[in-house]
Amino acid sequence: MSEVRKPRDPLTGHVKALAKGFKYLVEPNRMTLDYPAETMKLPPNYRGFFTVDDKKCIGCSMCEMVCPPEAITMVPRIIGEGGKTIPAPEGEKEVKGPKRTKRPVVNWGKCIFCYFCVDVCPVDAFIPTQVHDLAFEKDSEYRPSYEDYLKPPEEPYKNSKKVISKADLKRGVSYEPAP
Amino acid sequence: MSEKVYNIDDLQNINVEGEKYIILQIGPSHPGSGHMRLKVWLDGDIIVKVDPDIGFVHRTSEWLSERREWIKAVPIVERIMLPDTVHANLAYVLTVEKLLGIEPPPRAQYLRSLVAEINRITSHLYGIGIFGIFLGSSTVYMWAFGDREPFIDLMEMLTGARITTSYIIPGGVRWDLPNGFKERAETVLQYMERRLKDYEDIWVKNPVVQARTINVGTLKKEDAIRLGVVGPNLRASGVYYDTRKHHPYAAYSNLDFEVPTMKNGDSYDRLLIRVEEIKQSIKLIRQILKDIPEGKIIADQIYNQLNPVMKKNYEEKKRVMFPAFMIHMRPPAGEASAKVEAGRGEIFFYIKSTGDKYPYRFRWVTPSFRNLPYFTHVTVGHRLADLPTIYGSIDYFPPEADR
Ligand code: SF4
Ligand code: SF4
Repeated sequence: MSEVRKPRDPLTGHVKALAKGFKYLVEPNRMTLDYPAETMKLPPNYRGFFTVDDKKCIGCSMCEMVCPPEAITMVPRIIGEGGKTIPAPEGEKEVKGPKRTKRPVVNWGKCIFCYFCVDVCPVDAFIPTQVHDLAFEKDSEYRPSYEDYLKPPEEPYKNSKKVISKADLKRGVSYEPAP
Repeated sequence: MSEKVYNIDDLQNINVEGEKYIILQIGPSHPGSGHMRLKVWLDGDIIVKVDPDIGFVHRTSEWLSERREWIKAVPIVERIMLPDTVHANLAYVLTVEKLLGIEPPPRAQYLRSLVAEINRITSHLYGIGIFGIFLGSSTVYMWAFGDREPFIDLMEMLTGARITTSYIIPGGVRWDLPNGFKERAETVLQYMERRLKDYEDIWVKNPVVQARTINVGTLKKEDAIRLGVVGPNLRASGVYYDTRKHHPYAAYSNLDFEVPTMKNGDSYDRLLIRVEEIKQSIKLIRQILKDIPEGKIIADQIYNQLNPVMKKNYEEKKRVMFPAFMIHMRPPAGEASAKVEAGRGEIFFYIKSTGDKYPYRFRWVTPSFRNLPYFTHVTVGHRLADLPTIYGSIDYFPPEADR
């Protein structure tokens, strides 16, 4: 490795460094994303905010048990006829009489987006999205109620230009309009 | 280096309250790449003694992991080694697999090596970038951090997260290679190879860098072995030791790569070794993508426990879901240890199980902690202005050392 280590003679060294710097001054290889004018369309397995499918969930609490930061709380839910607090959703007509069950709610202040809950669910009831850039104004918004949690997360900057990242030989990462 | 010889073992000379030496406090608020305090005794501007005061970012990862189900330690260990998450994840999972007696299938082994090498490149670029800013070059800092991006994008494509991937689980990995990954990886590797030539001109062979790093912070081979430093820093001192070669794990026993070593062990060699290792990692990623065998990405013991919904997901989306075993696993009583060559050096894990829901004893040693002797042993006799050079060159990351 001695040839790698050999000190370069100062004149050549400085000239080469300056030349390279000048080259990138004229022809910079920026990979900046002009956020939020442009936002990324992320790969389908990107782990963003997620909600749960109320009809699929069976209330087994597996997701609560696996969550590393204990971000999931199981809230009581009554389904079927005679439900007092929450009316029975469509498609669950076959359930006769009120039935006590539980549903998960995620505390976004604690969630680390590991997706252990999504993967452990035996009926695959979670609905993942690629939305990752939500901001919360109030502390209470971190801990949504079950009804709020069911709403799919709304993407901010809906009118921004959607781009996808692409590997680029010249710039490393380049962005092109999403298909 | 000063002419005067200071004997670092004879610390009684140092009169703490006296006026002979100036005591300088560097830190604890983020003097470099994390919170730590360096207490420096100076004779003029010559360093007489350095006392690194660590523990400001101690996050009780061991304590936390001993009070949780086994799977929950994966995100915890990742957050300790933030630029190097995959290796922490891998080392922990290897230990648990030894306890459980599970062997992942070959494809999963290759995928583990693949993410590990991508992560090694990002970790080394992080190190080079921090070294740059320590020497006052914001150019190379921006360059290195920018060039992590294509690799982080690769990780994102494969694992669904940029840094905290939680990709490796007992028995295998969580996602298979997505379509188009190989082509994208090849483009990124070619880009990086070209950029390494640019780095050479603007940074590695820059006369300013050479003047500031050559013969600064030299650690001789014997001393490196005696002090037990690890990783690229050890190899920069000329010791041929790499866990990937000497105690192979994942797919490394099937892969052909070199372990670069240097002779002098000074700051410049520690910079060069990182550049050389990036080249080796590029070679390794190419090899892995060429040789990767077909097959399952999760061990049969786990696969057989998946329910029909999960099996369907596995076949269609190449996604491994968790059977209830992941929550309720109780590895049989016993002890296990594992070693992994992370970006900054060797991670060592020791776990004792009593067959319970939680680990009984959870112990791990991170590479930065083992590279701590650099502060006390190689700084003495240098000028104060050389301290950032030495700190930057050893790629020390306080959160990782404090655990
Ligand atoms: S993604 Fe992880 S942290 Fe978030 S709720 Fe699910 S298990 Fe908990
Ligand atoms: S694991 Fe799935 S089915 Fe069980 S409670 Fe959670 S969301 Fe519902």
